[in-house]
Amino acid sequence: MPFVSSRRILVIALAGAALLSALPQSFQTPWSGTLATVLWAPLVPGASVLAWARDRVRAPAEPYQGLPEELRAARESRDQLQGELDAAQLRVGQLEGQLGELSGYRPADRAGWQPRLASVIERGAGRPAGLLGIDIGIAQGVGEGDPVVVGGNQIIGMVAAGGTENRSWVIPLDDRRCGRIDAIVLTEAPDGPSDASGGAGAKKADKGGRADKSDRGDKARNGARATVLVQLVPQGNRTLVGELESPADVKPGDTVLLSDATWRPAAQGMRIGVVESEGTLDANPLRRRITVRMESDPLRQSRVVVKVRVSGQGQGTRGTGAAK
Amino acid sequence: MRWWVFIPVLALVLTMDAAFMPAFAIGGHVPQLWPLLLAFVALYASRGAALWAAMIVGVWLDAMHPALGLGAESPRAVTVFGPHVLACAAGAWCVLETRTWLYRRNVLTVAFSAFNCALLASLAFIAIAGIRAAYADSSPLWGGGSGGAALGSDLVDALYSAVIAILPAWGLQSTLTVWGFATAGPRFAGGSRMNRGND
Repeated sequence: MPFVSSRRILVIALAGAALLSALPQSFQTPWSGTLATVLWAPLVPGASVLAWARDRVRAPAEPYQGLPEELRAARESRDQLQGELDAAQLRVGQLEGQLGELSGYRPADRAGWQPRLASVIERGAGRPAGLLGIDIGIAQGVGEGDPVVVGGNQIIGMVAAGGTENRSWVIPLDDRRCGRIDAIVLTEAPDGPSDASGGAGAKKADKGGRADKSDRGDKARNGARATVLVQLVPQGNRTLVGELESPADVKPGDTVLLSDATWRPAAQGMRIGVVESEGTLDANPLRRRITVRMESDPLRQSRVVVKVRVSGQGQGTRGTGAAK
Repeated sequence: MRWWVFIPVLALVLTMDAAFMPAFAIGGHVPQLWPLLLAFVALYASRGAALWAAMIVGVWLDAMHPALGLGAESPRAVTVFGPHVLACAAGAWCVLETRTWLYRRNVLTVAFSAFNCALLASLAFIAIAGIRAAYADSSPLWGGGSGGAALGSDLVDALYSAVIAILPAWGLQSTLTVWGFATAGPRFAGGSRMNRGND
């Protein structure tokens, strides 16, 4: 190729690359996605074959691996229903808090989503790391912010904006660019209720035997669990960390659910993971730090489910929606 | 260099990096094959051809690794062309500068050059991303954490890639004649270079 020999053209090309590198994203947004799709298109067939080979070499870490298909499907359905139940309980709690604010009340819209199965065709292994490329996109109804789950109720990330017709990018939950995530820790409370303040439950218990029995009955029906609010910060490598008030009774092994108003309703109540460790903060002895480990490794998934919005059923977020 | 050999091999290598190499991930570190290919080309091709090859690799890498910008409801995946192009050019330049004092026919040399190439490309990318983060990007292109942590992680990735590269480097070395390099082996005699039309 003659252009290869031209030193001048090479210098111009390098200068052009430097200029593109210096320009803000908005200058490239109108055309760079299309060009990237065109460049990626010839690699898709090979990537599909190699992804199959990769899963043979190293099996993906899917839940309930090795079980018969029927049993596995049944367990995933059970987990999905459990997730829906958790979401419903969360919603009930939110509504109770909003009863006094009827002017700002908006009815629940939990049914406005449908599951879409997707295959992971690319895993980010360069810079930026960790993004997952999946084989469904706008054509299948996938939109920005849609939650991505595995195993029925284990959330592993959210769909980033900027997807194309048949391709989307998923930001793993443990990626710092997901922003801070509001969550609740379901704590075991075998000997009576406890909550984040650590005091309200104790006052209830003092009011008398009948109320106490009724309260215990409710707690038993709800799995005898109290909730602790926590804000988590993704740390990568399947972990998120958060800080708690010291009285909160959180132990390793407690379940952590997503409860963030800036995420879609379909994501509420989905399992983030379990508390791996907890300890005091040296800088602030009145607070404690917990580490949450995701139950599913986003980088070892071959199939995921995207909870896409159903058109005509508004399911907007209540917050500003911008990345925190 | 024969470009009709380079382009399909590059497509295969990038496809493997995207879809197959995660099978060899250890502790979140995934080996990559593109530094090996780029180092191999930079060891044997002419200076101009090596830099053009680096730019092509960079364009493709930029296309495969979108950055995240601000979106209305969730972060937006935006492809930013340029950073990987310059990073790969820096990696290729490193190999071009060192190839004169290396014994190129050894597969360990190719693996060593792949390490150098990956490391310098990473350094250049993080430098560019750091500059961009000061005025253009909401979060650095390298993802979360500090630039030093990202560089440390890339150092491990580069080492791992170099170790994994030994076997494919042997394969590339055995196909040396197919590539039609300007500076490869006994064919590097002046007479045999004439009328080859290669770079």
